[in-house]
Amino acid sequence: MQEILDTFFNPAVAAQVLPMLLSGLWMTVKLAALIIPLGLLGGLALALAHTQTRSRKLRIAINLYVDFFRSFPQLVLVIFVSFATPFIGIELSPVVALAISFMLSTSAYYCEILRAGITAIPPGQTEAARSTGMSAAQTLRHVVLPQAFRNVLPDLLGNSIEIFKGTSLASVLGMSELLYSAQSAQSVLFNPTPLVLAAAIYLALLWPAVRFISALESSRRAQGG
Amino acid sequence: MSQAADSGLIHTFFNADIVRQTTPMVLEAVGQTIVVGVLVIVAGILLGTALATWRFHTQSRVLRALIVGYVDVLRAMPPLVILILVYFALPYVNISIGSVLATFLCLSVILSAFIEECVWSGIMTLPKGQMEAARSTGMSWWQSMRHVILPQALRLSLPQITNRCIAAIKNTALGSVIGFAEILGSAQAASSDYANPTPLTLCAILYIGLIYPLVLASRYLEHRAGIR
Amino acid sequence: MQKKIILEAVDIRKDYGDLRVLNGVDIRVREGELVSIIGPSGSGKSSLLRCCNLLERPTAGQIIFDGEDITRDTVNINRVRQNMGMVFQQFNLYPHLNVLANVSLALRCVGKLGKAEANAVAMEALTQVDMAHKRDAFPGQLSGGQQQRVGIARAVALNPKIILFDEPTSALDPELVSSVLAVMKSLRERGMTMLVVTHEMGFARDLSDRVIFMDGGVVAANDTPDVIFSSQGNERMRSFLSRFLNER
Repeated sequence: MQEILDTFFNPAVAAQVLPMLLSGLWMTVKLAALIIPLGLLGGLALALAHTQTRSRKLRIAINLYVDFFRSFPQLVLVIFVSFATPFIGIELSPVVALAISFMLSTSAYYCEILRAGITAIPPGQTEAARSTGMSAAQTLRHVVLPQAFRNVLPDLLGNSIEIFKGTSLASVLGMSELLYSAQSAQSVLFNPTPLVLAAAIYLALLWPAVRFISALESSRRAQGG
Repeated sequence: MSQAADSGLIHTFFNADIVRQTTPMVLEAVGQTIVVGVLVIVAGILLGTALATWRFHTQSRVLRALIVGYVDVLRAMPPLVILILVYFALPYVNISIGSVLATFLCLSVILSAFIEECVWSGIMTLPKGQMEAARSTGMSWWQSMRHVILPQALRLSLPQITNRCIAAIKNTALGSVIGFAEILGSAQAASSDYANPTPLTLCAILYIGLIYPLVLASRYLEHRAGIR
Repeated sequence: MQKKIILEAVDIRKDYGDLRVLNGVDIRVREGELVSIIGPSGSGKSSLLRCCNLLERPTAGQIIFDGEDITRDTVNINRVRQNMGMVFQQFNLYPHLNVLANVSLALRCVGKLGKAEANAVAMEALTQVDMAHKRDAFPGQLSGGQQQRVGIARAVALNPKIILFDEPTSALDPELVSSVLAVMKSLRERGMTMLVVTHEMGFARDLSDRVIFMDGGVVAANDTPDVIFSSQGNERMRSFLSRFLNER
C-alpha cells in the first residue's frame, strides 16, 4: 500500500512538478478558449445556413460536410493537417494546425446541436413574430435563437467539455499543454505521479461541469421536457 | 503548368506505388481496428446497461453514489489521459498491459460510462406506470426490466448510444499513441518510412469509410426519434 | 350462506412523509361482488387500491387476500399478484409490444406457458373485451377506450381472483367511456370479483353490490347503492353526490 502511495501519489514529486503542470494547464485553457468560440461560431453559421436556406443543394452540402467531419477521428485529422501540409509547401505552427483541425470538426458537432435546437422550436413562434412585423433576422435573433440555445444548453456544454478534453491531443504534436507536461515530467523523473496529478487536475476542472450537465438533464426530465 | 501541379498533388497524396506497397499492412491494421472496435462496443454496451440496471435496482445510496462517481470520473477525463495512465503508469507497480489490451480496456470502460448515462436517462424517462403494470401482473422485478423497461429505455436512447459508439471507434486511433498497430499507427510509420503522406491519406479514407455508415445510421435514427 | 371474503383491508394507514393519506381504513370484498369506491379527490381512494396489491406499502395495517396476510415480509408478492389483476387510469400498455404481446407477456414469464398456449389464452381474453381483431396493432394506434379494453384483457388473462380498477375511465373522452363500462359490466356478469375506484356514479349506482364513500382518508359510508344514492347520509357525502343526485 505504501509502495503504491509512494509511486503514484508521491508528495515530493507532486510539489516539484506542480508549477510545470500548472503552466501546461494554462496552455490547455488557452487552447480551449481559442477553439470553443471558433467552433461555436462556425457551427452557428452552418446551422443557420442549413435551417434558413431554401436551397436543397446547400443543405445536402452542409450535411456532407458535417458527416464527413463526424466520421473523421480527431487525432487522425490533427496529424494529417500538421504532417501532410508541409508536403504542399505550407508550414503550419502546431497551434494553427490544431486550431484549424479542431475548428473543422467541432463546428460540425456544434452545427448538429444547434440545428436540432433550432428545428425543435415550433413554427408557430416564427409565425407569431413575423406577424408582428419583425424581419426574419430579428425573429431569429430575439425569438428563435435564444430559445434554441436554452433548449440545447446541456448538449452545448457537453460538446464544449469534449473539446476541452480534446486539447490533450495537442500533446501528440509536442505542444506543452497539460498532458504533455505531465508525460515529460514522468519520463524525466521516472515516476508516474505527474500523470496522476494531471488526471486529478482534469477531474477537478471537469467533474463539476459533468455533474452540472447531469443535473440540468435530470431537472429537464422532471419537468417533462 | 497546372497539369504538373495536379499530378504533383496526386503523386504526393495518392501515390499509387506506395498504396500498393502498404496495402497488406494497412489491411491488417484495419482488421485490428474493426475487431477492437466491435469488442469495445459490445463490452461497453453490456457493462453500461448492467451498471444502469444495478443503479436502478439497488437501495444502497452508497452503491448508487459509487456508480455515479465511476461514470463521472470516466466522462470527465480525456480518453488519451486514461490510456497513457494505464499504459505508462501501471508498469511502475509491475502491471504491464499490452497496448491492444490497454486500448480495449480503457475504451470499453469509458464507453460503459457514457452508455450507463444514456440507459439511465432512458429508464428515468419512462412513465412509472410501465413498471407498475408489469409488476401488477406478477412479473418479477428482473422480468419486468428485461421485457418492459430495458427494451424501451434502449430504444429511447438509441441515437445517443450510436453517437457514443461512433466516438469509441474514433478513439481507437488514440491507441496509436501507446503503440497499438491500428490504422493510424501503421499509417504514421509508413508515412515516415516513405517520407510521403499517402499512407496518412489512406488512413483518413479508411477511417471515414468505416465510420461514415455509422454516422448515416445515427442521422437516420435521430430523424426517426424526432418524428416519434 | 355468505360468499367467502376474497380481499380484506384491516385498519390500513398510509403516510407520505408528514401527509396522512389513509387513517384507519377497513373494507371487505366477497367473492363475485362488485364494490365501488367513490369520494372527492384526495380522499385516499387510489392509495387504498394500490395498497391492496402492494404497489404502495401500507404504513400500518394488514391486507388479507384469500385468507393470507400479504403484508407479511415473507410473502412472495409476485405469486400473490398473479392472482390479482389491476387496470390503470393511464392504461400503462407496453408501447413497444403489440396488443397480443401486451396480454400474453405475463402469461409467458409468470404463468410459464409456452408461446402458443399463452397466445391462445391471450386471444380468449381479448375476445372477451372485443379487441381480438386488433391483436397485431400497437398501443399507439388505438383509441383510449381500445387501449383500456386491452388493459382489462391483460388483467383478465391471468384468471385472477379479483381485479382492481383504478379510475379506469377517468382518462377517457366521454364517448369512449361507455365501451369500457360495457366490458366491465360483462365481466361482472361472468362472476368476476371487482374493486373499482370510480367517478362514474351511474356505474357505481347501477352495477355495484356495495358502494364505499371515502373522505379524508377514512371510510365515511359503506352500504348498498340504494342507501348511498338516496338522499340520506352525512352532509359531506350528500354535497359530493348532490350534483349527480340532482341530475337524475
